[in-house]
Order: sequence, then C-alpha cells, then structure tokens
Amino acid sequence: MARFYPLTVTDLRHDTRDAVVVTLAPREADRAAFHFLQGQYLTFRHAFDGEELRRSYSICSGLDDGTLRVGIKRVEGGAFSTWANEELAVGAVLEAMPPMGRFHAPIEPSQARHYLGFAGGSGITPILSIIRTVLAREPRSRFTLVYANRQISSIMFREELEDLKNLHLGRLSILHVLETEAQEIELFTGLIDAAKMEALFRSWIDPGSVDMAFICGPEPMMLAIAKSLRAHGIADDRIKFELFASGQPGRAKQKAVSVTAAASAHATEATVTLDGTARTFRIEKEGPSLLEAALAHQIDAPYACKAGVCSTCRARVTEGEVEMAVNHALEDYEVRQGYVLTCQSRPLTDRVALSYDE
Amino acid sequence: MAEAMRIEDYLAEGGVLTSPDNVPARYRGELMRLMASFVDSELAGAAGFADRINDAPGITARIAAARIVAEKTAHAGRVLEIMGEFGADTARYATRHPWAARVARDADLGQARAGADMRLSVFHYPLTGWVDAVAMNVLMGLATGVQLEELSRVSYAPLAEAFREIAPAEARHAELGLEGLRQIVATPSGRAKAEAALSYWWPKVAETFGRAGSERFAMLKRLGLRHRPNEALLADWTAAAEAALGGLGLRIGGR
Repeated sequence: MARFYPLTVTDLRHDTRDAVVVTLAPREADRAAFHFLQGQYLTFRHAFDGEELRRSYSICSGLDDGTLRVGIKRVEGGAFSTWANEELAVGAVLEAMPPMGRFHAPIEPSQARHYLGFAGGSGITPILSIIRTVLAREPRSRFTLVYANRQISSIMFREELEDLKNLHLGRLSILHVLETEAQEIELFTGLIDAAKMEALFRSWIDPGSVDMAFICGPEPMMLAIAKSLRAHGIADDRIKFELFASGQPGRAKQKAVSVTAAASAHATEATVTLDGTARTFRIEKEGPSLLEAALAHQIDAPYACKAGVCSTCRARVTEGEVEMAVNHALEDYEVRQGYVLTCQSRPLTDRVALSYDE
Repeated sequence: MAEAMRIEDYLAEGGVLTSPDNVPARYRGELMRLMASFVDSELAGAAGFADRINDAPGITARIAAARIVAEKTAHAGRVLEIMGEFGADTARYATRHPWAARVARDADLGQARAGADMRLSVFHYPLTGWVDAVAMNVLMGLATGVQLEELSRVSYAPLAEAFREIAPAEARHAELGLEGLRQIVATPSGRAKAEAALSYWWPKVAETFGRAGSERFAMLKRLGLRHRPNEALLADWTAAAEAALGGLGLRIGGR
C-alpha cells in the first residue's frame, strides 16, 4: 500500500510567471526510497479545507545531479498547482510517495544513440530529466528536443536547456515551436500537428536515425506525434509516452451526503450506474454483495478477485451508506470520497446509489 | 498546444494512457479485469504445470518444464505489479487462491469464467501427465502468442510495454513445447497419445478466444483495450496451430 514520506523544500525558483521549480530533500533515513529513474514522477498529497488532494509532478533532475527537483506549472483552477506556485516556501514540508513511472529507456554507456523528444509545455519536466541523464551517462549519444509552448515567456527551463546545449556541444539540438509568436522560420510557429510533423521529418529530423522517441504533453499533441512517428517507421516499442492530461479535475468532489439515510426495512432499493445507464433493483441488506446483485441483474460490472484485494470492482457511492466487509485495496482518502469495493459492500440504508463511471 | 480533448475521444483515436492518474473510472475497471485475467491465467497455468515437472522424461525436459513454471510466474508478477499501482494488494493477491485447483477432466465450462478467479477457462482443466502437459502447452502457447500480439497494443502504455517484454519468453515456451512434442511423436504409441491429448485440448484452447461477435469487444475497442475481434484472433491461432502440428504430420480429429 502507498506510503508517504516527508520532503523538505530546500530551494524554490520561479522559472516562468506561472511555473515553479521546487528542490526537495528527503530525511536521511528515507534517501534510498527516493532514488529515482530519469523520467519518473512524485505523487504529493496535501489537504485543502480538510480534504486530501493528490497530484503527480515529474522529476526534472538528472540521475547525476544530486538533487531531487520537480517542476510545477500552475493550472487554471488547479488547487495544488496554485498553492505550490503562490504559497509554498523554503522550509515547508511536503508529503510524497516514492518515485514512480516508466517513462524512460535503459541507459547503455557504450551506445551511440539518437533520441528524439517531444515536450508540450510543462511536459518538459520528465524530458529534461531524461536529457540530463542521457547527456551525462551516454557520452556518445545525442538528443533532439522539439519543444512546444504558447510563447517565449512561457517556456520552462529555457536557460537551463541553453546551458546544457553549450555544455554538451553538438549533442543537444532544440527546436522551439511557439503557438502564438511568429518566428523567422514559419515551421516553428503554430501547433505540432500532422503537417508540422511531416515538415519536421522532411527537412530537420531524419526519422531513420532515431533510436528512441519520448513524447510528453497533452492529448492532441500526443496523438499527432505518435501517428507520425509510426508512419515514419518508428514502432511502438521505440516510443515512450507520458500523458499530461489536460482534463485533471481541480478539486476532489465531496461525497454526496444523503438526507434519507435512515435505515428501517430489510431490503434496499439500489441504483447502479454503468456506462451512463442507471438500473434500479431491490436487494436484501443481509444478502449478497452489491457486486453480486448487480451481476445477477445482468449489469456487466467489472470485478476480478471478489476478495477485496484487487480493487477492480471499485465504484463510488453517490447516495446512502454501504458497509465494506474487507478492504485491502482502497486507501482512506478514496473511502472518504465515497469509493467502495462493491464485491465487499452491503447496503446500510433503504436507498443506495452507486456508479462505476466516476 | 493544449486545446482540451475528451479522454474518450483521445482513446478512440488511438491515444495511450500512461499512469493511474489519467485513467477514467470505467477504463480502470476494464483494464484491471484484463490484467487480472492474464495474472490469474499465468499463475494457474504455472501451478498446473509445476506438478508435471516430475513427469518430464530426462534432464532437458525437466529444466524446460521448470523454466516454464518460473517464467510464467514471473510474468504474472510483472503484470501484478501494474495492478499494484492501481491499489491492488499484490502480496495478498498472489496467495489468495489455490492456483493449482482444477475441475474434473470431463467437465465442460465452455467460455465461462469459473470459481473465484479470472483465469481463462482452459486453465481449470487438469493435466494428466507429460504428454498431456506438452500438448496443452503447445496449443495454449500458440494461443498466448496470438493474444499477446493483440495485447501488446493496449492503450495503457505501461501494460503494453510489459506484454511486449513478456511475449518473447512466452513464444519460447511454445517452442519448447513443440520440441517436446517432436520427441513424443517419434514413436507410434507416443503419436497416438499425443493425438488424443491434442484432440482434448484443441476445443478448450479455441474457447479462450471468446465469442464471435462479442458485444464487449466494441466497448473495449473504444477504450483501446482491444483492436482485433475474437474471431480474427481465433483464425490466426487455428492457422498457426494447424501449421505447427502439420509439420509433425499430426492431424487432429474433431475439427
């Protein structure tokens, strides 16, 4: 089960108007837990108005930097990122899980590879970690970065990337693509779409020379780039993805509190929503689990272990109260948000509603 | 750079998801179900095969059988680790079930999952000896190859990657099985036993591909968790199995 460790903020640097780079230090005893691989992320938790919110941010340090840094870009309406940008200060303590994620390729010091990275906005953070690591540990390899941003002033790590380019002469090339600012070469203005990819491959990057590609950014950019890479013969086993989803909810929703929670009858009226369709049926309070009842009513609810271990059957209670017999998979904060393991749940109230869609 | 896009549209267009954070609830359920099916099948397959190590004729066959058991268990662990990232209690999961449990040899489960785990139905039937184990391993090994090729394209990138890593070793298991079968059919009595065993396992392995025209397929395809329909995969396996057995001069009855 997930475990959180305290990390002290030892440095804080505003990189652009709405992005902050935070340097963190684990306690001496926890150092081993925070050994990371290039491209991994940390998941933080913080309580806002008594409600826990979790957010993941990619590590931007290289393996040999001796620091643990994350870049946090402020998202409109995002509680955690706004707090990190506006209120976080040196000396503060954050809670984070050990590094996770598989957005990396194994380093082979003897290899001379050509890596191609695509970053959209704050998607640069894990790619920077990879660039720093590759340049330091694979001395014969080179990296081409295509970096998309809205405008010059929103480019994260602009100076740091320039410094890396100068430090490793000829091994790092950077193509900036700016959405709203015209540049000398028209190719570098606008969005990275299919046409832009074609043009890049025609005149700037030889797809045949690419050993491994990394893409990190929002959905449309990921789609356009992946499609183009595949069309140019770079198969999926040579493409590493890290999606920075644009649709992250700002704040966890409070579980709806039922006003009709009084329990009386032996049977409960249960409403189960799956794939947007709600079905209502009666179920004995002391009878089979809500999952079993849903399956018996031909609702194709997901499940696997039926033992409260795997969490496949997770659903959210939106009305009424249920009780779980066993829970080895959900964490307290999920339970507080109303999530239950339906294979272990029986209704307590005369009406319950739960959804597999939330 | 970042116009908003619905995650459902993104998936329908072939997008990939990369961490538990960006996985919608329904996707999560189906992804977990898919992973559980693989993990349970590998654990049950390995557990059933473990008992047959002692039937193996000779040291090479014993090593091959032991290796298959070890690697299938490791493959289960590799995917279980990803389930753990979604909250599954991996330690409890691995030991929660008697993976070696089997139904009667003449039971007929069809395509239905049985009991309290998600293993493919074929892994509920008992192996009766070395020839039987080899026959099952050949047919199911080829089926696993077809299924892993499909699963290596799933839209959850960490899982697709795991399946791509697993696929070569699983292909090797099928090859080891074919090598064992080649030795078995060298004698007339071995050939007769092999034909009987292959005839027993053929329809049961075919069942693992699921129903033709499955209504779940359309939903899984929208989520990028499946790409080719059950009947196409079944046809691929049928061709591969017929070619492999034909190479040994075997014709399996009842087809």
